[in-house]
Amino acid sequence: MQRNKMSYKVSQFLMFAGPAGLLFVGTVIIPFLYGLYLTFTSWDGISRTKPFVGFENYASTFADTAYWQAIGRTLIYSIFSVILINIVAFALAYLVTSGVKGQNFFRAGFFIPNLIGGIVLGYVWKFVFNRAFVAVAESLGQRNAASLLSTTNGAMFCLILVSVWQYAGYMMLIYVAGFMSVSESLKEAAMIDGCTPAQAMQNVTIPLMRSSFVQCIFLSITRCFMVYDVNLSLTKGEPFNSSVMAAMHVFNQAFTYKNYGTGQAEALILFVICAIVGVTQVYIGKKGEVAA
Amino acid sequence: MIKMKKFLALALSAAMTAGILAGCGSDGSTNGGSTGGSTSGNGATITILNSKMEIQEQLEKMAESYGKSKGVNVEVYYSSDTIAAHLSTRYASNEPYTISMVDAKDVYSLAKEHAVDLSGEDWVKDTTEAISIDGKVYGFPVCVEARGIIYNADAIKAITGSDFDPASVKTLDDFNKLLSDLKAGGMAAPTGIMKEDWSLAAHFLAEVYEQQADPDAFIKGLHDGTTHMADDAIFNSMMDTFDALKANNYAEASAISAEREVTEQKLAEGELAFMFGGNWDWSVINQYDYSDNMGIMPVPQNGSTDANTKLVGGGSKYFFIDSSSNTSDEQVQAAKDFLNWMVYDSEGQSFLVNECALVPAFSNITLAVSDPLGASVKTYADKGALIGNYNYLPDDHYSKLGAAFQEYLANKTDRAGFGAAIDSYWQAATLSEH
Repeated sequence: MQRNKMSYKVSQFLMFAGPAGLLFVGTVIIPFLYGLYLTFTSWDGISRTKPFVGFENYASTFADTAYWQAIGRTLIYSIFSVILINIVAFALAYLVTSGVKGQNFFRAGFFIPNLIGGIVLGYVWKFVFNRAFVAVAESLGQRNAASLLSTTNGAMFCLILVSVWQYAGYMMLIYVAGFMSVSESLKEAAMIDGCTPAQAMQNVTIPLMRSSFVQCIFLSITRCFMVYDVNLSLTKGEPFNSSVMAAMHVFNQAFTYKNYGTGQAEALILFVICAIVGVTQVYIGKKGEVAA
Repeated sequence: MIKMKKFLALALSAAMTAGILAGCGSDGSTNGGSTGGSTSGNGATITILNSKMEIQEQLEKMAESYGKSKGVNVEVYYSSDTIAAHLSTRYASNEPYTISMVDAKDVYSLAKEHAVDLSGEDWVKDTTEAISIDGKVYGFPVCVEARGIIYNADAIKAITGSDFDPASVKTLDDFNKLLSDLKAGGMAAPTGIMKEDWSLAAHFLAEVYEQQADPDAFIKGLHDGTTHMADDAIFNSMMDTFDALKANNYAEASAISAEREVTEQKLAEGELAFMFGGNWDWSVINQYDYSDNMGIMPVPQNGSTDANTKLVGGGSKYFFIDSSSNTSDEQVQAAKDFLNWMVYDSEGQSFLVNECALVPAFSNITLAVSDPLGASVKTYADKGALIGNYNYLPDDHYSKLGAAFQEYLANKTDRAGFGAAIDSYWQAATLSEH
């Protein structure tokens, strides 16, 4: 058999990639295109007819102030979360690779929050914020202590805190891999040349870990932009719909308010925003990558 | 050797595909199905969507025994999703339920396209709560539910020393006097408020529309900008009562993070005396060590209407039968038989009233309702003292005005501000045609 023949290569490719590719097209590409079509209809999500309305849904998307408020809120939430997640994850990774006693135990421990589903996690923290913190505050002598979740800024703070707690362990693993990939000899050479440990970290280790940063920031950005589960179970958009993130607004618009077409259009715009941010970040990050 | 490798490669890619496919398995997270019964008889299988969580267990048991005795296969499903959202996924996949339990507003939005005309059924003459559109009956009322102030008579008696007669508290002045007596007697905060948007906007605020002589005209006035909420007598009267509830709220400082379960537990155990709610709250209250004498009374008001002698409510949760080609004639017939069974068969009646503890919407059912809140509702329903539900509120009403109401509850806005928020909501809203 001729291994360099085109037909052989194609059949080999199809054998491996074909089934998965087919499923990918069936479950991601086709629904995406169908969704695109739905943005041009005024379908309510359940009716048999899907009246064509042109760009009306996009017009109402741009006129939907609640949507843009939700996007703005998501941006603020994402900026804080992404920065904090990565700082905490990097610090944890440094800690558990520096040779402290029982570091494998700590690695597992920090990772565990990520194994709990977002919905459960939200309910657990809701209990902590609403009952545990309030009880502690009251036992410390504060009368009529109110839950953090009952104020606008408090709810946002809680969301960020829980997200950081949830994702820091996961990102830590990627940073741990990054730390391990930097060879000891390079660090040693830098130290012999007179670097302090901090300088070695700044000038040798961090530049060599750049790909870890790119990955972690990309993952945390996309996850924060699309946050839904924690949002639903922790705050449910309350108080006063002031913690409704973009994804939750899209869901409400499409399913609860039964404006499926508008919801779909809003989802598409959210996707575009998210894609632009993510791709830009990866492009900038990759450009300055150095090879060891 | 090459053959061996090729085989391995194929096996590997097959395994990978299987792995991917496994991810697409049907999700069992929110929908638990249960099958019961043999398939003798005409062998039809009917599927029922239940949207009342508290009767899921009873329905599953019924499915089994009903299926066995009637020779049909009954499958009961439950979803905690928004009903319309859940049904849309089922319709999108061409797998509608034979019978779906939905809210009244869903019947209005779905029935014309998706429901079987039930006008010819016997039970139509025995109920006033069925939903018909353009003269055709589509919705079978599962039960009657009504809203008002839930009271704990034992807790009140423990302080005042005399039996509590809800009829003695008709006006807000009476109510305020009783509240201050209770406080003087040692109950620190006699009321609780559910901060949930559906309770505030879909239940409490909705009473303002429902108590109007002509709710449609009132809402049209709000929409056209000719009526202003803050000027409305009923709105002000209801909000006066709400202020009394708010001022005596046990969770005054954290009113908008008070949890429903905690509030109802306190009410059940007599730590509180009053809470605005409805007879569906019994399914929460009965989880706790509840007092024997509880009930629902009309919202006390000083206004000039007779609304303070009536509860607000009516048929709640409706069954409709799917009319699409996915449901066969045998299935439709089996579904109709099932509805008749609940109304006319003594076992069916007992299932509805005794096991599910629902207030029946049919005049021929005379079984006594066991839970105290349901019993209150039945008393009012029997004497015709129910103000009907207004079922045409837009889908985003409860969420958007619920948020505005929460701001009022948290003292972020005053009554004028809240009224203005309601005005601007209605001016921008699209009114449903009916």
